[in-house]
Amino acid sequence: MWTILAINSVTFGGLLFLLSAGFSLIFGLMRVPNLTHGSMFMLGGYIGGSLIATYHVPFWLAALLAAAAVAAFGGVIERFLLRRLAGSVLAQVLVTLGIAFIVSDFSLMVWGGDPLSVDAPRALAGGTRALGVFFPTYRIAVILIAVAIAAILWAMLDRTRLGAMIRAGVDDPEMARVVGIRVSRLFTIVFCLGAALAGFGGVMGAPILSVYPGLDFAMLPLALVVVILGGAGSLPGSLVGSIVIGFIYNFGLVMVPQLAYFILFLPMVLVLVLRPQGLFGRAAP
Amino acid sequence: MASEALTLDRVDAHYGDSHVLHGVSFALGEARLLGLLGRNGAGKTTCMNVIMGILRPRGGAITLFGRDISALATEDIAARGIALVPQGRRIFRSLSVHENLLVAARRPRAEGNHPPWGFETVYAAFPRLKERQRHVAAYLSGGEQQMLAIGRALMANPRVLLMDEPSEGLAPQIVAEVMATIRRLKAQGLSIVLVEQNPKLVFEIADDIVVLNSGRVVVSDTTAALRESGVDLHQHLGIY
Ligand SMILES: Nc1ncnc2c1ncn2[C@@H]1O[C@H](COP(=O)(O)OP(=O)(O)O)[C@@H](O)[C@H]1O
Ligand SMILES: [Mg+2]
Repeated sequence: MWTILAINSVTFGGLLFLLSAGFSLIFGLMRVPNLTHGSMFMLGGYIGGSLIATYHVPFWLAALLAAAAVAAFGGVIERFLLRRLAGSVLAQVLVTLGIAFIVSDFSLMVWGGDPLSVDAPRALAGGTRALGVFFPTYRIAVILIAVAIAAILWAMLDRTRLGAMIRAGVDDPEMARVVGIRVSRLFTIVFCLGAALAGFGGVMGAPILSVYPGLDFAMLPLALVVVILGGAGSLPGSLVGSIVIGFIYNFGLVMVPQLAYFILFLPMVLVLVLRPQGLFGRAAP
Repeated sequence: MASEALTLDRVDAHYGDSHVLHGVSFALGEARLLGLLGRNGAGKTTCMNVIMGILRPRGGAITLFGRDISALATEDIAARGIALVPQGRRIFRSLSVHENLLVAARRPRAEGNHPPWGFETVYAAFPRLKERQRHVAAYLSGGEQQMLAIGRALMANPRVLLMDEPSEGLAPQIVAEVMATIRRLKAQGLSIVLVEQNPKLVFEIADDIVVLNSGRVVVSDTTAALRESGVDLHQHLGIY
């Protein structure tokens, strides 16, 4: 029972990482609190889920298509709306929140009120029993994929010129432009990448969570908590924060269901009081 | 006019409602060094911001080798060949020394007349940076950070180099090192604007001198002519 709960927690942490990595990068680099991020997750789930359930597209192809569609949607939002609101946090909050509500209504219209359940790819159905514990294959795969994506993102951000340019843009956007870095193009790339990850996460999560109206606003606060815990713009922060929140959320639901939300936000409040830049974030210079 | 690398022509600049530059004009000749003097708040950094397109001028024109650049975005101005060593150095603090150079690297342009800059040449010019290439830039000393800011600007292989108070806050020995570097760059044919508050440094090194006072050009002449006429700059610069 505890091992199952632990596996579920890590799996949920992996999904949270796919969700929050993009949120964290977007907030860290662009200072945009992108409240559509939960909607991206849900849209990915709906689009991928429909492709799989209705059109019998293979699971992984559907996941990639959904990620691409959500990335394109993110690109449109960034280029045509957020770009015009640069520097105005309140306007960004209101506009992204507005879009989140629109997506929510639109999804209800298109996909209806019933949850859309999606089967895991057949190759990953079932599980293995080892040491007296049942390991569900799909959940293990989700963990491995999340770790692989974390490693790829880290390598891209930490080991390439593009990554160094993104970090330079985080450090000092004005100076980055002075040395010739096309910061606004990088912003679009990061925004689309973040949306794609969330959309991909939505498909990955569909066999576990299913896709249902309200999934967007269930996920959004979790992304916020992870980013506040881990520190905006920090990938290791997102990874650790996701797993911590995955554990707290799952164990909380089982052990003290009445207080699940309270103990979820407690670490966030503690971090805000004791270390406002987050566990892995840097203090503003 | 082809011998002029950079010109400002009656440039007016504002921060919101406050009018900071009033019809500022000056010209930097090719392969020359122009010293831009003025006390704190005179508008020197604002001139840099306007040239780099960080602040849009409300009036006037800025040209680079005869081409108007006043409407270009900052990145495009950088691509045309202007590099800035900003006041306060503003290195990318979380990047390593090597990455600071990497993100600014740009292929040398065909018409460049000095040897191209790259990692090897920058590290040869600043051996201390080479020793510390893997270090996070935030942990460099002030002098090393200034070297890095200069190296970063050179990596773009600029045609015009703007340096905003590169001696600020440095020990005298490091200031001497920075000045020697600037002399070397000038000898290689780079066109340089050197912003300074200290007229002594500028008189030693500049070909031309422009003095700003409250956002207006009050003196503009060659160093030789100013030295000869013995103009008293103190009224514009405060006491040194
Ligand atoms: N970002 C800004 N917003 C408003 N006023 C500014 C800003 N930067 C500089 N100023 C004002 O513009 C004037 C010129 O400043 P600056 O160009 O930095 O002078 P200098 O570099 O010669 O010391 C000063 O009066 C300063 O207070
Ligand atoms: Mg200044």
